[in-house]
Amino acid sequence: MKIFFIILIYCFSLNFEAKLKIEIIKGSEQLPNIAIVPFKSNLGRKFEYDVRNQINEKLTLFGEFNSLRLDQMLSFPYNEDSFYRRDWELLSMDYVVFGEVYEEAENLVIYYSVADIALKRIILRGDIIGDKENIKLITKKISDRVYESMTGLKGVFNTKLAYILNPEPNKYSICISDIDGDNENILFSSNSPLMSPDWSPDGNKLAYVSFEKGFAEIFIQNLLTGDRETIPTLGMSKSAPVWSPDSKNLAFVISMSGNPDIYNYNLKTKKISRLTSHYGIDTEPAWSPDGKRLLFTSNRSGSPQIFEIKISNKRIKRVTLEGSYNARSRFFPDGKNIVFVHGNNGFFHIATRNLKDRFINIITKTTLDESPTISPNGHIIIYSTKKENQGYLAGITIDKKSKFQLPVKRGSVREPAWSPFLN
Amino acid sequence: MKFLKALPLFLLLFLVSCSTQVSDSVSQTNYKEVEGINFDEKDKIDTSIEDKVYFDFDKSTLNDDTKKILAQYVSESEKANIIRLEGHCDERGTREYNLALGEKRAIEVKNYLIIQGVSSSKIKIISYGEEKPISFGSTESDWKQNRRVEIALF
Repeated sequence: MKIFFIILIYCFSLNFEAKLKIEIIKGSEQLPNIAIVPFKSNLGRKFEYDVRNQINEKLTLFGEFNSLRLDQMLSFPYNEDSFYRRDWELLSMDYVVFGEVYEEAENLVIYYSVADIALKRIILRGDIIGDKENIKLITKKISDRVYESMTGLKGVFNTKLAYILNPEPNKYSICISDIDGDNENILFSSNSPLMSPDWSPDGNKLAYVSFEKGFAEIFIQNLLTGDRETIPTLGMSKSAPVWSPDSKNLAFVISMSGNPDIYNYNLKTKKISRLTSHYGIDTEPAWSPDGKRLLFTSNRSGSPQIFEIKISNKRIKRVTLEGSYNARSRFFPDGKNIVFVHGNNGFFHIATRNLKDRFINIITKTTLDESPTISPNGHIIIYSTKKENQGYLAGITIDKKSKFQLPVKRGSVREPAWSPFLN
Repeated sequence: MKFLKALPLFLLLFLVSCSTQVSDSVSQTNYKEVEGINFDEKDKIDTSIEDKVYFDFDKSTLNDDTKKILAQYVSESEKANIIRLEGHCDERGTREYNLALGEKRAIEVKNYLIIQGVSSSKIKIISYGEEKPISFGSTESDWKQNRRVEIALF
């Protein structure tokens, strides 16, 4: 059902082209070699190639694999009987994807297999039935399964990205698109700034900050109905909303007279409780995957650093020690590693760190990097950066083997927020 | 308008206690300092005073030049119903932190004006963090212009 939720609320379309298309800027030489063979079909060549090309498009989206060109293939297997491993050993392939597509009572039925050449066996056999009009969704699901069989990680091809688009001064939009850039739609537009989009982990809501009332206010927008609600407090600057892992609470910041602290809002009981109280700046909360702790940024020690608070006893400990600027952290899904913005001599990079050791792993080279968001499988980071006075999004896999960017034709784009897995 | 009269008291309490007092519930507070600042720019009062004051990176402290500018607002503010202070930051660092920093800057200006005798009930503050730069480049001269508090009288 969630597939359709975006469509319902998008009653107006974009009047400016901003489509984010991922461009691979660096693929490592040690990427796995894969071959995706055209699928055999009784529906004609178009289907054979459409299914193959769409799976190929997804699997190579983030530059994680070298995909063999069709004209280099020595054979075109479609089942295990027609598959000859030596054809692919000769081409130094690591994995081969092949299968068949049929029509059955208005539906498409697709059988697919993945061969691991080094292991000398078929590592995945799957079949899927779906609406003929929705090949895109079907191939996304196949790609997710194939990706998982090859990497051990769940695929993220059926996820979305929210981001802030600033096509011209004083025009701001929150957009949501498929992770491959398709189906970009505006969730909300304003002449005042919009900030800090965050997906509820159930994929049903987006929280963000809007200045439409003349001050920073948090809105929680239902993606099914389009309804917007605010947090019931009197007018004070509210910012940095982040959903708890169970989608029942929102950690956020209230600032009273220039003194921002972290609070929690329970959406069911509407109760607001205070978590930090310090005269310095406390902001940018981030939940641990178990919902028991929050990371946050505080300048209580002088410069912005990352701290952690245990929610049960409100005990606070400092997390980052190195460097004069560490901020806007997020947990990886494993709960052990974090990503954050690390400033050093006026340069701002995206960095990761294991909470157990002190080693800061700087993973970007550009100098105005911010707002990192982690793919739900924990493998890819998308962040915002800037070039020639324009904000744009860029991405990198955690192993640094693949780098890509998502340029827009006009204006600035920033604050990416990766959706959870959507079914 | 009653709550506005209580504002100096609030501020005094804030300054004295330095926020050590913690309330666990905020839904009952009547603190409305930053609520609803949608002004009609047409109603802005023209003054000959510099309308922007500037800050160092990641700092909210006022320098001597800034204090001289702010002192000129004391008599001028008598004509005004509202003094709007907008805090801004340069693009470096993170957005939510900068939102807080912009507010700290506006508060520093506010506190200084109050000490100089401006009625705190007239002062409205808002921070836009790094969301509304004046200069869109990424050099120190761009950043310098963006780390500011804008003062407007209405």
